[in-house]
Amino acid sequence: MLRERANIISVTNAQARLAARRLAVPFLIVLSLLLIVLGKADAVLFERIRVEAADRIAPVLAVLSQPAAAVSAGARHIRGLLDLYDENQRLREDNDRLLEWQEVGRRLAAENAALRALTGFQAKGATFSIAAQVIANSGGAFARNVLVDVGARDGVARGQAGVTGEGLVGRVTEVGERTARLLLLTDLNSRIPVVLESSRLRAVMAGDNSDQPRLLYLPADASITPGERIVTGGADGVFPPDLPVGVVASIDGDVVRVEPYAEPARLDYVRILDLGLSAFLPQSAVPPPRTTKGTKAADAH
Amino acid sequence: MRLTLFPRDIDGLYRLAPFATGALAALLSVTPIAVPGLAIATPAFALMVVYHWTIYRPDLLPPSGVFAIGLFVDLLDGTPYLGLSSLVLLVARSLVLRQRPLVANRDFAVVWAGFLVVAAIVTALEWAVTSILNEAPLGSRPFLFQAIVTAACFPVASYLLAWTQRALLRRV
Repeated sequence: MLRERANIISVTNAQARLAARRLAVPFLIVLSLLLIVLGKADAVLFERIRVEAADRIAPVLAVLSQPAAAVSAGARHIRGLLDLYDENQRLREDNDRLLEWQEVGRRLAAENAALRALTGFQAKGATFSIAAQVIANSGGAFARNVLVDVGARDGVARGQAGVTGEGLVGRVTEVGERTARLLLLTDLNSRIPVVLESSRLRAVMAGDNSDQPRLLYLPADASITPGERIVTGGADGVFPPDLPVGVVASIDGDVVRVEPYAEPARLDYVRILDLGLSAFLPQSAVPPPRTTKGTKAADAH
Repeated sequence: MRLTLFPRDIDGLYRLAPFATGALAALLSVTPIAVPGLAIATPAFALMVVYHWTIYRPDLLPPSGVFAIGLFVDLLDGTPYLGLSSLVLLVARSLVLRQRPLVANRDFAVVWAGFLVVAAIVTALEWAVTSILNEAPLGSRPFLFQAIVTAACFPVASYLLAWTQRALLRRV
């Protein structure tokens, strides 16, 4: 009797297990869809989850990015060796040109100093920059961003500009305690107010996950030539004005594409600039760094 | 008597190898490697992992494992669409399970061709969902690039995964 019951139970158990296994995939697919929809509805909560996860995983990513950096450096070294002759030639020409520029620069600096003294000019609030190492780089089809190893505790805040020696790469969109995410210029969600340097036309540079972002909202009769320099507008109060961004790469009817100076795929280090303007931006979903907690802990020691 | 238990415990750990390779693939996809040629688009490493294990050891990578790998991919990627990779990988798993008799124990070329089909379908699905979420059709070029790079990288990943399988899972 008991054994029979045990048999029945084990049969129903097996059936239940079979049903569970059969339902697992539909259930998980529905769960995924639910997550996607929720993520669209409550972006704030999901941003916090992403930031928290990034902070937790940062040490692992930092370790992993070391050998990766070595591989990159190796590849660059080999390419450098191959291009040695051309490179040398180019550098000589650059050097000649730069010497001329140096002369111009000195003259302008002297003139500038004289004019400033004349008008009693005061420089705007000092910018400071934070050097950051890229520890993760998303180059997928629907995300172009990098994770860097500095965060709120280092003074990084939402809206700050990320630059390399070549030019602007993106802006800070998510800030954790020890990590921050930079949305690259090429990302689908990136919108940067820019100015065409020679014509001073204003436009918005919008990423579309391709390597060359588009220029939007240009006047219909604008005359643009390929090779024209694009710099940040600065009028928005988010970025410093006149940071180099890129050059006009192609004009195809209404579609004007920009080749950014900084190549996001080759980023190792970025500098994050602070103008002290991030206070004007919408508040981040992430609470500000809890400095009081830190000092308390320090007091206790 | 303890000693006899020991190998079995190790085997239990080995059974986690498929999931571990999935997690590793997710990490690898965001590791900043500036190798020329790989810069256009990052290959979908996690998709390769799910494809491989679903063909050779589906018992060791259940739907829940696939779901978790997808979540991990999305969290690392920082995409605004948490859950999209889970969805896509689960669909890939279902597709592969269906075509498994066609590709299992066949030439590598067949396995690769199967992967091409799955990668194409999955990338199209990804494009469609992202377009719906953005309320506008997205440029298809980045997706096309990613599919091509992914398909091109598959043989290397497949070799490494087969090696892992031989090394760790011969007895399990």
